[in-house]
Amino acid sequence: MRAALALLICVRALAQDGSIPENPRELKFAPLAYTPPRAADFRHKLANGAVAYLVEDHDLPLINIGVLIRTGAFLDPPGKRGLAQLTGSQIRAGGTRTRPPAVFDEEAAFLAAGLGSGIGDLEGNASLNCLSKDIDAGLALFADMLRNPGFAEDRLKLARNQMLQAMERRNDSTESIEAREFQRLLRGAHFSAMPVTKATLEAITRDDLIDFHRRYYCPANFIFAVSGDFRIADMLARLEKAFRDWPNRTEPIPPVPKPDFIPKPGVYVVDKRDVNQGRVRMGHLGVMITNPDHLALSVMNGVLGGSGFTSRITSRVRSDEGLAYDAGSSFNHGNFYEGTFSVHFQSKNPAVAQAIAIVKEEIEKIRSAPVSEEELKTEVNYVIESFPRRFATAAARASQFASDEYIKLPADYWQRYRERIAALTPADIQRVARQYLHPDRMVTLVVGNLEAIRQGNPDRPQFPFPSDFVQIPLPDPLTMVYPN
Amino acid sequence: MKLRAAVIVCLAGILQAQSVPVQEFVLDNGMKLLMVPRKGSPNIAAGWIARVGSVDERPGITGISHLFEHMMFKGTRVIGTRDIREDLAISAEMDRVKAELRREEQELARRLRLGEIADVNDPKVRSPRHQQLLADMDRLARRARDLIVKDEFDRIYTAAGASSMNAATSEDFTIYFINVPSNKLELWYWMESDRLLNPVFREFYTERDVVHEERRRSRDSTPTGRYIEQFEAMFWKSSPYGWPVIGWPSDLEAITREDATSYYAVHYAPNNLAACLVGDFEPERAVTLAKKYFGRLSRSPQQPEPVRTIEMQQYGEQRMTAYAETNPEVHIRYHTVADGHKDEPALLVMAYLLNDRTGRLYKSLVLDQQVANSAFAGQNGMKYEGYFELRGVAKPGRTPEQVEQALYAEIEKLRNEPVSDRELQKVKNQLSASNFRRLQSDFFLMFQLLIAESNRGWRTLNTDPPLLQAVTAADVRRVAGRYFSPTNRNVLILYTKRPSVSSASGGSR
Repeated sequence: MRAALALLICVRALAQDGSIPENPRELKFAPLAYTPPRAADFRHKLANGAVAYLVEDHDLPLINIGVLIRTGAFLDPPGKRGLAQLTGSQIRAGGTRTRPPAVFDEEAAFLAAGLGSGIGDLEGNASLNCLSKDIDAGLALFADMLRNPGFAEDRLKLARNQMLQAMERRNDSTESIEAREFQRLLRGAHFSAMPVTKATLEAITRDDLIDFHRRYYCPANFIFAVSGDFRIADMLARLEKAFRDWPNRTEPIPPVPKPDFIPKPGVYVVDKRDVNQGRVRMGHLGVMITNPDHLALSVMNGVLGGSGFTSRITSRVRSDEGLAYDAGSSFNHGNFYEGTFSVHFQSKNPAVAQAIAIVKEEIEKIRSAPVSEEELKTEVNYVIESFPRRFATAAARASQFASDEYIKLPADYWQRYRERIAALTPADIQRVARQYLHPDRMVTLVVGNLEAIRQGNPDRPQFPFPSDFVQIPLPDPLTMVYPN
Repeated sequence: MKLRAAVIVCLAGILQAQSVPVQEFVLDNGMKLLMVPRKGSPNIAAGWIARVGSVDERPGITGISHLFEHMMFKGTRVIGTRDIREDLAISAEMDRVKAELRREEQELARRLRLGEIADVNDPKVRSPRHQQLLADMDRLARRARDLIVKDEFDRIYTAAGASSMNAATSEDFTIYFINVPSNKLELWYWMESDRLLNPVFREFYTERDVVHEERRRSRDSTPTGRYIEQFEAMFWKSSPYGWPVIGWPSDLEAITREDATSYYAVHYAPNNLAACLVGDFEPERAVTLAKKYFGRLSRSPQQPEPVRTIEMQQYGEQRMTAYAETNPEVHIRYHTVADGHKDEPALLVMAYLLNDRTGRLYKSLVLDQQVANSAFAGQNGMKYEGYFELRGVAKPGRTPEQVEQALYAEIEKLRNEPVSDRELQKVKNQLSASNFRRLQSDFFLMFQLLIAESNRGWRTLNTDPPLLQAVTAADVRRVAGRYFSPTNRNVLILYTKRPSVSSASGGSR
């Protein structure tokens, strides 16, 4: 040990003139100076009321145009769950008023232009990627698609058919069962846990799609993210022209409904005979981005299970015990309502109980003792040093600005981000762990072979599977009615 | 120092962007460094590739390339341990115990063959000695764990702001990659050269369990994984492409640390490696550091031998039928050509003609005949062999056999009628736009350069696209007529199996 120390000192001296240090921690690095771009420098307002973020980048002769649209599946009318999703996909698939689908698709394919459209729970989006030489033709197709979708009946029928076929397979993969049931356990009857069923899908008509589009697709609801090989003034003029005279609707968009549901803690099991691995998800409700503790929570989660191999759950469940390939946690802050905390792993059926016990121990541990200075430093450095990645390309910058505006992020959020992370102490981490991790509220969902899970590992009898679990039956995949 | 800049000087800006300007440097030990400096974000996409994959394995050690990839994150003589001497001593002790355990396991396998026992994993069938050895193994693992600095390799990189560190193993190559902030270039050289120079395969036995879990997750516990794995095994007769990259479970259990060590000596020598940097760095400094760090690796006297076994010609159609929790679907595979074969461009163009929204399969099978709800085609040229695949999911009320016949009919059409100029041009327009799109991400470019380098050399990234543009309608007809005979094909039919659930919870319908 002493000899090693002497060597170390000698290495330190040598490192200056280019020899290889014995330990990588001896390497010296120039500081990474980086100032994040300011959204305001790239923001433009179009005459029609749309906002556009434009970032030039002439490395490649390509242009990307993305649009965020203020809409979402939260606007599905009662009994028509699936309308937003279908509208989103059919804006792209159903042609336009003047171009039948086959014509529209051929034009796009011949241009080698990528056009997309979709609507998720909380936002709509559409995109164009084309060669910059083809921007006239590409933008014409894109504007036509956004403004005048044709919603061709035969494509709608096909899409419905494909969705029904996919629905029939809802109980096949343990992965999709896990995602669905965990959402139900945490959100109850909230729209975000409401499934599309055969009945709701069949209740949706072409007129419903036309109406949904008419209500929400207008420039005042658009935020453009444009990047690539163009000049700002020129692109602004093109956007103005492509979307001009598109009247805005004055009817306000209803707010996103907040979940009104308190999850029932406990262990829930879906029995799936045919699999040799159980999928597990454990968690409870979390916080919104407006909560000032969300950054501390994100760092706490990094130490607990969100940062790959350097985090505790991964390290113990995977590398110590070899019980899982994928094990970790996430503490997602919600933008419109509170997010969730969850731990996930997949383990051979007999090892499920042992891995659950380890996870519980780690949650308890991070609540009851401060994280080490070294752990905190690793996580904080990671967040700070990898920060520029967030703005790495012109396309990443434009879409970051657009989504920040969509969720109304404070203007100085990224400017202050690193200093807020750097200020965190082990005491802060423990405080948020105690305040926001709730072992008593934990919902634990297991999807796997129940018999093998209950038997457990005969070599590890000290980890029994809890006996007071609730079994969730598989629902009819088309009606989503659960037996008894 | 010989810095060879392989920049291709072009006339127009557009053309220039299409070919990738790579600077290449070869170290004395044979390791090649590819560099694409690009200003922009203060970041470097960095990686290296070993020209080894599951195709280089043999029965008994299948899955070793992938297991080895996992072991490369376990540290070195400096990284990952508090006491290297004690660490190595415990490892040696574990190997001895494992060797004895293997004998016990072999005895249980023998008794299973004779029908004396039903399950080799049942603790009740173990001998007292076997039970003792397992206890010894546990005890050693706990002692080893006390010496380990957990995942220190990851910790050092993570604390330096490096991201997306991972690795991947395929049939033909193993690739290690990461993003490092541009001020941490030397750290990358330190870490990567250290794990190549002084690897220590600690946690060898628990890591095997992780790979078993990876296998369960990706194959056994998915609706179709296990059937597709067996279809792939059925497809190849003599070629080593027949075993899965993740390995057969019985081999995974049996691989020893000695297997891993001798594997490393041959396949991870610098003459079998190439590295690549794309992003914000100075090439001169990158070369200096490469000489300083990777220059320490010694060339192996034993040059890895290319795969000997060539796939036997197939003499009759092979079919597999299975019931899975999936929609009824059909997979059809034909033996075609390896990566770089002169017929590959025409086969790739053929796949483009068949695919996507305006491709022939969607138009004919999905929209017109309404026999399928989705369909796909692809040519996959690997290093030594290749295949062309067609797939389709039957529409409710139609059978996979009907989809199968409809897919054959599309091949027939390509064989009998030349494609129109416009249809061919559409595909070529897409291919030429993709030549730009593939350059958008530094990370993806690093990937493509390394993979191309491990096959036929990175220059093929620039020389292959013109070959695709040169494909004619006659070429497509010729390849459609050449490779798609019934005796050359393999067919997997998947029918829907009702989900198996416990009686208490009731059926799904």
